[in-house]
Amino acid sequence: MEDFIIRDCSLLTKTSGLPAAINLRELRERLAVCRQDVLYHHFCETPLVPSFDNPDYKNDFAVWALLHLGDRVLAEQLGIINPYIFTDLEKLREKVLEVLDERLSQAYFVPSCQPGEEFFFTEAVTVVFDTGKRITSPEKLPEAIGRMTTGSIYYHFFEARRRGSLGIDDFSVWLSGFPGQEIWCRALQTVDFVFFTLTELRGELVRVLEGGAS
Amino acid sequence: MTKFLSSYEGLVSATVIGELRQLGNRLTGKKVVHVNSTRVGGGVAEILDWMIPLMRDVGLDAQWEVIEGNSDFYSVTKKFHNGLQGLPVTISRREWQTYREVCEENAARLRPILEEADFVVIHDPQPAALLGLCPGRKGKWIWRGHIDISRPTHSVWRGLRPFISGYDASIFSMCQFAQPLPHPQFLIPPSIDPLSPKNMDLDPEELTSVRNQYNLDSDKPLLVQISRFDRFKDPLGVIAAYRIVQKVQPVQLVLAGGGATDDPEGQEVLEEVLAAAAGDSDIHVLLLPPDAHRTINALQRLADILIQKSTREGFGLTVTEGLWKGKPVIGGDTGGIRLQVVNYHTGFLVNTPEGAAHRIRFLLHHKGLRSKMETRAREYVREHFLLTRHLRDYLTLFHILNSRKDSSTIYV
Repeated sequence: MEDFIIRDCSLLTKTSGLPAAINLRELRERLAVCRQDVLYHHFCETPLVPSFDNPDYKNDFAVWALLHLGDRVLAEQLGIINPYIFTDLEKLREKVLEVLDERLSQAYFVPSCQPGEEFFFTEAVTVVFDTGKRITSPEKLPEAIGRMTTGSIYYHFFEARRRGSLGIDDFSVWLSGFPGQEIWCRALQTVDFVFFTLTELRGELVRVLEGGAS
Repeated sequence: MTKFLSSYEGLVSATVIGELRQLGNRLTGKKVVHVNSTRVGGGVAEILDWMIPLMRDVGLDAQWEVIEGNSDFYSVTKKFHNGLQGLPVTISRREWQTYREVCEENAARLRPILEEADFVVIHDPQPAALLGLCPGRKGKWIWRGHIDISRPTHSVWRGLRPFISGYDASIFSMCQFAQPLPHPQFLIPPSIDPLSPKNMDLDPEELTSVRNQYNLDSDKPLLVQISRFDRFKDPLGVIAAYRIVQKVQPVQLVLAGGGATDDPEGQEVLEEVLAAAAGDSDIHVLLLPPDAHRTINALQRLADILIQKSTREGFGLTVTEGLWKGKPVIGGDTGGIRLQVVNYHTGFLVNTPEGAAHRIRFLLHHKGLRSKMETRAREYVREHFLLTRHLRDYLTLFHILNSRKDSSTIYV
């Protein structure tokens, strides 16, 4: 089996060119036509975006629905959507639109935000680079993860799910190439990673792999 | 003092430093020129003060140039500043002419440097016209808007937009500030330098010395707002909030700030503040020299609560500074302050002097909450708002602009 190549990434957010949404109907209209990168950014890249907050929901649409539309029902319905189970971002878009359409059909009035609380559609460009570091054996994986940057954690654990055809993280893919490592692959894949910050997730991955080894 | 990335090990992990070096290695030798309008005073000068040496340390050939202007020029650019932040201003044909003439004089001086650079970063509107005055430019030009231009006075933006639209990219601190432009608009919040005199740890003796120097009472809770004397910072609103609190609880207030060479209105606002504070020995209005960084640091550390009650704000670096020192911040509900002050997490957002007074009293009462905020705030700053993240964003941007691919993922 080849060595694990530790890559790192740095993400830079940019505006999408779409006008900001001030109510639920505008959110729906913009989501129907936005680029897939916009959808992906607001669902999956949030852990890398600088923030002083650690909101209950991890996708930006659910957070906006809760904090700025004041629609707790919609926030719950959007917040539970797991973007990683969709093999195709268009399927994710269909699901989100379905939730929004249902909510709009139930609403007596279209929920709107206050001025200054609009939803801004953004996307990101990710620069990926080889750190030059390699992991030569599964036993060295926990220590190596413990030394990784949050960018590496994001790239190998989150972004890998979009990149690879299997929809799983890079560590599991690599470990599965070694005999007897299935248990650790399963352990990694049961981590409910959505609720961790990247720093917390790094610690959790080390804990899972070291716990398994003991 | 020359800065090196290695000095930051311990404040951030060695892997974060390594990440920056790897991003820099792939840009080794690229010429980067930053241009702004003042060497001292204000957040931009503070950022460039550390960014240039650190860009050099990761392998870039970085330099910082400052445009030169007369008082007429700075009066016009102050009008730009006010107009872009939404104050109704009128700029005459003669004033536009002054702006162009001064930019032409600067272009004549800077053209050889700017046209040779691989990346030119122009900060704020003052030097924006340089792009059109450097026809032989070979690199990528980036316009960096530090202020809140979400609702600019239309005539001002209409006049400035042609100078900015030709850039290869622009940078804003928040998406709310961006304006429709025909090039990519990237979002990079600013940051603080934890080792700068303004943010480094200070000995208790130095804090005591500053307390004594300004006759601050160690028994009364201290409220501090650090900012230039600028109407957008609402110093009179802070005094109004203090007076409301003072009716029920003894407190003292420090309003401290320096002047900047590109801000001709500062003296006028300072006089208004001094008049409002006259006769109250618990209000300390301090006009500090531009290099009084350690004094500002000490005042922030002595404060029980920091205030940044701006009515318009680009980002509000003083908020990050306060949070890094573990202080809760009561901030105006505007601009970049919204990004940093999260109710009950790092402080409170307020809209009026009454709101500020209420939250001051609330925080003075809830000491336990203040203590929780301290830890949380410092860790958020460490993760997202230190200069290492800011440097990484710039290096990332240079890679993106260097790439010929128009893709959401770029491998370098």
